[in-house]
Amino acid sequence: MPVDGSLQLILPEILLAAAGMVVLAAGLTWKTSRAPGVLALLGIAAAGAALYTNVWGATAELWSRTVVVDGFANLFKAIFLVVAALTVLVSMEYVQRNGIPAGEFYALLLLATVGMVFMAGSLNLLTIYLGLECLSLASYAMAGMLRRNPKSTEASLKYILIGAISSGVVLFGMSLLFGAAGSTHLTDIARALAGSGELAPVAVAGMMFLIAGFGVKMAAVPFHMWAPDVYHGSPAPVAAFLITASEAAAFGAALRIFMVGLPALADEWRTVFIVLAVISMTVGNITAILQTNVRRMLAYSAVAQAGYIMVGLAVASDRAVSAMLYYLIAYAFMTIGAFAVVILLGRQHPSEEINDFRGLGQRSPLFALALTIFLLSLIGIPPTAGFFGKFYLIQAAVGANLTWLAVVMMINSVISIPYYWGVVRTMYLRDAEEKAPLSVPAGVRWAAVIGLAGTLVLGLFPDAVVQIVSAVHVVPTWLWTAF
Amino acid sequence: MLLSALVFIPLLGAILLAFFPKERESAIRGYALVVSLIPAVLVYLIWQQMDFSQSAMQLVIQRDWIPSLGISYKLGVDGISFPLIAVSALVLPLSILASFTIKHRVKEFFLWMLVLQTAIYGVFTALDYFLFFIFFEASLVPMYFIIGIWGGPRKEYASLKFFIYTLLGSAIMLVGILALYLGSGLRTFDVQVLAQQANLAPTLQWWIFLAFFAGFAVKVPIFPFHTWLPDAHVEAPTGGSMILAGILLKTGTYGFFRFMLPTFPDAAQAFSPVLAVLGIVGIIYGALAAMGQNDLKKMVAYSSISHMGYVVLGVAAMTPMSLNGAMFVNVSHGIISPLLFFVVASVIYDRTHTRMMDQMSGLFTKIPVAASLTAFAAFANLGLPGMAGFPGEFFTFVGSFPVYTTLVVLAAALGLVTTAGYHLWMMQRVLMGKPTGEELPDISGRELVVAAPLMICIVLLGILPGIALRLFNEPIAVLAARLGGM
Repeated sequence: MPVDGSLQLILPEILLAAAGMVVLAAGLTWKTSRAPGVLALLGIAAAGAALYTNVWGATAELWSRTVVVDGFANLFKAIFLVVAALTVLVSMEYVQRNGIPAGEFYALLLLATVGMVFMAGSLNLLTIYLGLECLSLASYAMAGMLRRNPKSTEASLKYILIGAISSGVVLFGMSLLFGAAGSTHLTDIARALAGSGELAPVAVAGMMFLIAGFGVKMAAVPFHMWAPDVYHGSPAPVAAFLITASEAAAFGAALRIFMVGLPALADEWRTVFIVLAVISMTVGNITAILQTNVRRMLAYSAVAQAGYIMVGLAVASDRAVSAMLYYLIAYAFMTIGAFAVVILLGRQHPSEEINDFRGLGQRSPLFALALTIFLLSLIGIPPTAGFFGKFYLIQAAVGANLTWLAVVMMINSVISIPYYWGVVRTMYLRDAEEKAPLSVPAGVRWAAVIGLAGTLVLGLFPDAVVQIVSAVHVVPTWLWTAF
Repeated sequence: MLLSALVFIPLLGAILLAFFPKERESAIRGYALVVSLIPAVLVYLIWQQMDFSQSAMQLVIQRDWIPSLGISYKLGVDGISFPLIAVSALVLPLSILASFTIKHRVKEFFLWMLVLQTAIYGVFTALDYFLFFIFFEASLVPMYFIIGIWGGPRKEYASLKFFIYTLLGSAIMLVGILALYLGSGLRTFDVQVLAQQANLAPTLQWWIFLAFFAGFAVKVPIFPFHTWLPDAHVEAPTGGSMILAGILLKTGTYGFFRFMLPTFPDAAQAFSPVLAVLGIVGIIYGALAAMGQNDLKKMVAYSSISHMGYVVLGVAAMTPMSLNGAMFVNVSHGIISPLLFFVVASVIYDRTHTRMMDQMSGLFTKIPVAASLTAFAAFANLGLPGMAGFPGEFFTFVGSFPVYTTLVVLAAALGLVTTAGYHLWMMQRVLMGKPTGEELPDISGRELVVAAPLMICIVLLGILPGIALRLFNEPIAVLAARLGGM
C-alpha cells in the first residue's frame, strides 16, 4: 500500500480540523462579530475544494487500515460538508443575537464534522468509535450553548447522559465482536464470522449492542426519548445539525458495520431493523400529531424519518442503499431549509409554537412557500426531493419482496399529513394579528434558498444524483481482491 | 411541442403572476383569464392536427428524464384524452371568469387556479406513470388552498378531508405503480409499453389492479369512497366547485380508460361485476341522497356521485357501446355540472345569500332569466333528450343491458326516476311558488358570458352527439377489442 500521498487523501479532514483551531483562536479576538462564522465557511469551502480535487474518485486504505477512502466515504463527506456549511449560514445571526461565543460554537461544529467524516470513512471499529465520540462530545457542548436558557442546559445534560450510555453500549458491542473475531477491522470480522459456520452467540450479542447504540444516534424508537428534549432545547441551528448530519453519520457508520462486517448475521439484523423501522415511523408520526411546538413536532418527525431511512438498512440491497443515500441527501436539504424558516420565525416568536406561523403566507410569501415545499417534501408529495426519495426507497422495498413494508411506509406518509400540513394550514388559512413583513437575515435567506433549490432540483431532476448514489458501494469490493 | 406548451403555459403564467403587485386586482383577474385562454387556442391547434380515425397516440413528445430508472418525459394525446382536454380548456377559463367575484387575497387565488391548470392538462396528457403521478398529486395542493382559503364555513375540515382521502388513495396507487414497474420486469414507466408488453402473473395483476382502483375510486368517487366529495363541493368557492365536478372527477374515470382497462384486462374483467354493482349503488344512492338535501349545492354534489355511477357502470360492462356511453357521460357531465354549480352557487347564492331550498321560492317571478338558466341546467342534468346529458346515459344503458340486465333495469327504474324526481322537486320548491323577500337584480352580463358557452355546448352535444363520439370511437373500439367485448 503506497504511503506516499496518504496525507493528500485526508486533506479535507486536516483542513477542517485546522479551520476549527483557527476559528477558535479568532473567537478570542472577535467575540461578537461574524468573522469566526465567515472563517468557518471558508474552512468548509477549502475542505470541499480539497475533497473535490484530491480525494474524489480515489480509493485507498491508509494507516494500518484505520482510514478508508472510497466513493461511499466521499459521498458522505460531501453531505457533511454541505450540511455544516448550511448550518453555519443559519447560525450567523442566531449566534450573534443570543450571545453565543462564536469561536467556540463554530470550532465545535467543525470538530463534530471531522468526527462524522471519520465515522463514515473507516472500516475499523476503533476509528468509527473515535469519530462517534468526537461528534458526540462536540454535540453535547453545542446543545448547551444557550447558557442562560434552562431548556438548553437540560438538553445538554440529557444528551450527555444518554449519549454516554449509548457510547458505552457501542463500545461494549464492539468489544464483543472483537472477542468473537479477533480483529477490529470489519473485513476481518466478516471473514472470521463467515468461516465459523454457525452463529456465535457472542457475535449476535455484539450486533444487538451495536444496533442499540447506533439506534440512539439515529433517534430510532425505542431509543428516541432524548430526541424531543434535545432538539427542542438546544440552539435551533444545533438541532438542525443534529437532526440531519448526526443522524446521517450514524446511518453511514451502521451501513458499513452491518453490511461489511456482519453479512453472516444479515438475517438477524435485517429483521431487527425492519421492526425498528416500522415502530419508529409509526410512533414518530403518531406522537408528532399531538405536538403544538414546531421544534418538538420536527423532532418527532425526525424519529419518523429515521424510520423511513432505516427501511434502506432493513432491505439492504444495492438499490436500497442507493435509495437510502438519496434520501439522506434530500433529507438534509429539506430539514435544514425548514429549520431556516423556524429560526426566522423564532426571531419574533421565541416560543416557536405552531400557532406563531399564523399569517406567514401573507407576511412573508417566499418563506411560507419555501416551508410549504419543505413540508410537502417531508410528507413525500411530488415534485419534491422527499417524494423521489420515498419512491426510490419503496421501489427498493417492493423489489426485495417487502411490499408490506412499502405499504406501511405509505400509510405512515398519510398519517404524517395532519401535522406537517397543519403548519401549512396555519400559515395560509389563519390570519395573524401582526401583519408587518418579517425582516430576514442574509444567512437564513441563503440557507432557505439553497434548501429550496436542493429540494426542487432533487425532486425534478434526480438523475444526476441517482447516478452518483448508485455508483457507490458500501462493501469495498476492491478490498476483497487484495486478500 | 404543442402539448408541452399546453401543460406548462399556465404554470409559467402563474410564475409571472407572482411578480404582480397585490393591489392591482382587476389587472390580475384579466391576466389570469387571458393566460387560461391560451390553452383553449392550443387545444384548437391540437384538434386541427389530430387524426381521429386512428386510435394511436398522437403528437407524442418523448425525452429521457431519469434514464437510470426508466422514467421519461412523455406526453401524448388520443381520442380518449382529447375530449377531456377540450372540456378542460372550456371549463377552466369559465371557472376563472366565474371567480371574478373573489375579493379576498385575489392574487393568491388566481395563482393557485393557474397552477391547478398545469396539473390538469398534465394528468390528461402524461404517458409515463411517474410523470402522471406527479401531475395527479400536484392537483391536490392548489385545490386544497382554493377550498381551504376561499371556501365556506367548514372549509378547513372539508379541505383537509379532501386532501387526506385523495392522498391515501394515491399513496396506495403508488405502490401499485411500483409493483407494476418491478413486476413487469421491463424497467420502464412508459404507460403504453407497460400496457402492451407487461406479462403479469394473475395474482399480481389482481393486486396491482386493486391498488390502482384505490387511487382512482377515491377520485371518481365510487361509492363507498365518496364521503369527501359532498364536503369539498359544498365548501369550495364556485370556481373550485366547477373545476372539481367538471374536471377533477374525470381524472379518476380517465384513469380507468387510460391505465386500468388496457393494462390489466384480465383483472378488470374479473372485477367487472363488483364494479357494476358499485356503479349501480352509486347511481341510486347518489340520487336518493340528492333528493334528501335541503342545500342546493349539496344536492348537486350528490348528483355528481350519481352521474359518475353511470361512467362506472359503462366501464364495468366493457362493451363498445357502454364504453362509448361512459366516455360520453364523462364529457357531458364535464360541461353540465360546472354550469349547474355556477348557477346554484354563484348566480342564485349571490342574490339570495342562501342555498337552502326552503328559504327560496318563486325565483321565476323575481329573477326570470337566472331562474330559466337554473331550469335549463337542471333539465340538462336529469338527462332530458335533446341535451348533452341524455345520449351518454342512453348509450351506457343500452350497452350494459346485455351484460348486466337485472342491474341495468334496477338502475334505470330507480335511478332515472329518482334523478328526475329530485330535479323537478328542486325546481318546484325554488323556482315556482310565491315570491318572498325583496326585489333582486337579474343575471349580469359576466354571468351570461360564463353560462352561454356551456349552454351552447350542452345543446349541441345533445342534438349532435356524433361530434363527441367521432373523437373517441376508434380508441374505444380498440380498447373494447382488447377487453374481448362484443
